[in-house]
Amino acid sequence: MVYEFRYLAPRTASELAALLDGHKTDGKILAGGTDLIPNIRNGLMKPRVVIDIKKYEGADRISFGSDGLSMGPAVTINDVLRSKDARERYPVLCGCAHELASHQIRNRATVTGNVVNASPCSDMAPALLCLGASAVIRSATGERIVPFSQFFAGVKKTVLVPGEFLERIVVPAASAGAVGRYMKLKRIAGHDLGIVGVLMTRHEGRLRFAVSSAAPTPVLVDTVTEKDSPDEAARKVLAAVSPISDVRGTREYRVHMIGVYVRRLLAEVR
Amino acid sequence: MKIKLTVNGLLYERDCAEHTTLLRFIREGLGLTGTKEGCGMGECGACTVILNGHAVNSCMVLAAEVDGAVISTIEGEAQGPSLSDIQKSFEKHHAVQCGFCTPGMVMSVKELLVDNRKPSTDEVKEAIEGNFCRCTGYTQIVEAVMDLTGQPDGKGELEHV
Repeated sequence: MVYEFRYLAPRTASELAALLDGHKTDGKILAGGTDLIPNIRNGLMKPRVVIDIKKYEGADRISFGSDGLSMGPAVTINDVLRSKDARERYPVLCGCAHELASHQIRNRATVTGNVVNASPCSDMAPALLCLGASAVIRSATGERIVPFSQFFAGVKKTVLVPGEFLERIVVPAASAGAVGRYMKLKRIAGHDLGIVGVLMTRHEGRLRFAVSSAAPTPVLVDTVTEKDSPDEAARKVLAAVSPISDVRGTREYRVHMIGVYVRRLLAEVR
Repeated sequence: MKIKLTVNGLLYERDCAEHTTLLRFIREGLGLTGTKEGCGMGECGACTVILNGHAVNSCMVLAAEVDGAVISTIEGEAQGPSLSDIQKSFEKHHAVQCGFCTPGMVMSVKELLVDNRKPSTDEVKEAIEGNFCRCTGYTQIVEAVMDLTGQPDGKGELEHV
């Protein structure tokens, strides 16, 4: 790349927090790099310092414990798909991971990066929303925990403020065993950004839907019940989104396909 | 900064600028120009190399990030005049036309076959979904992999979906 920046790789989480504190305006966190590096290349981001979040001890840890599945900031999409805990306990998380981009990108892109990037078409956000996951956010001054239902603040915006980083994602143990399916409408069968995506989960008698590419942020809809007719369910999901027309599809197409997917999912997810 | 990389079994120690991509380092720093730059943003897969056992787009990796890593590129395939098994099968099935995507395709197939000696056609297609071929040679590529893995009847018909 012609654009020049400094590369720093802190070796502890505290060192990372201190570096971010010192580079609030000119620093960018590098996780998988699959968004950051093209953005720098295309001149959309001009950080003076790139801070690698993958090199500290434990950053790549994915583990299941009493509070659930914990994923550090260096855990890649394919790390999730290779994790026995994720595959056996959180099939919905794996279903969404499998729909994300291409194999090479899944080998590099991280779960944390996919949500911090806060694209409306995030493929991991629907799973994290339906499974009730939380973000463990750290900075030089402390730690806070934000559920993903309150994490996204707009297109490419989250509640993270400069100096903070997403240290862990925790998917609660109570969501283990949730079944569901993510239907992602794409232009081609291979890797593509979604035109629209709908995830439905069913767990302990409770239905949840999450929709990508249909509003400024990924959207959770938890008002649909087993008693609702398919049309009523589709109406509730559509009431929560506000799709736009863009290069990938029109508003009308998105609205229509969300309805189609909600009806299909209600019939298919058992 | 100084970085050390093992590429195709050889250890290289080189100076490199902190903003250099792995792709540029491999091509210009090491002179290994088999790995291609297509789109430069993770769409086309022409720059695919194997990094610590996994296929990645080297255009979206910084050389600085992978100090100490083990990397395989297309140059590591043939031993002298003798092509690797993947290359031989690509040649036999005419899975190469212009050849620009081939180094990346071969690397993606190589990673697939490490853990999966009998992939289905769907698994082959998924392994190469991040590798664009604009000569439309996907059918022959899938056939080359099926034949190589002892499944010569497993055809890779291009499905329009």
